[in-house]
Amino acid sequence: MRHYELLVVVKPTLTVEELQAKLGFLKEILEKNGAVIAATLDMGTRKLAYQIDKFERGTYVVFYFTAPTAAIAEVERLIRITEEFIRFMTVKFENQKELRFWNKQVEKITKKSDAPAVVETKEIVEDTVTTEA
Amino acid sequence: MAEKRKFARKYCKYCEAKIEYVDYKDAKILRHSLSERYKIMPRRLTGNCKRHQEMVELAIKRARATAVIPYIIDTKKVVAVPFEQLQQ
Repeated sequence: MRHYELLVVVKPTLTVEELQAKLGFLKEILEKNGAVIAATLDMGTRKLAYQIDKFERGTYVVFYFTAPTAAIAEVERLIRITEEFIRFMTVKFENQKELRFWNKQVEKITKKSDAPAVVETKEIVEDTVTTEA
Repeated sequence: MAEKRKFARKYCKYCEAKIEYVDYKDAKILRHSLSERYKIMPRRLTGNCKRHQEMVELAIKRARATAVIPYIIDTKKVVAVPFEQLQQ
């Protein structure tokens, strides 16, 4: 098992549900090939530095996972076939310094994903207060 | 000799910031080692140490492939930049 980071650029034209479906599909592929996903980071839709397939924007999603080496070739093959993914980049993390960075990123993302949940509950509380008033 | 000491001594900014790994998704870190036209700046101009320069080079090449930073800015692209705010 090696540590990897996979960045995927998805077409900006998809709806939220379609996007989730595509990401679920990708996750399924990863897990089917023996990968354990540690964290996913949604970087949102942002402007591309240059046009890709006539698209000016793209949705960036990053996966951090551990997987056996053979899985990567299969996952990349399937990403190439799928039209919705316009770019991808797999990075291998090997030496100690790189692994430390990998762990730091995973920690950061898990912390962030915890934080918004708290904010949401607070908002709900505020809403109820306003309705009462 | 007096003329030679005119400028501040160059040093590696990545060493100063204690960056262990240069992330290709973070364009801000890479910007220091890029010229106006997004070419990779040589070590003799930026003062980067060899270890960090090699890391930055790799990160820049990855960032270009994933459209985080452009490969090159030419005259055609310069015209397109002022409309950036209008599109959003």
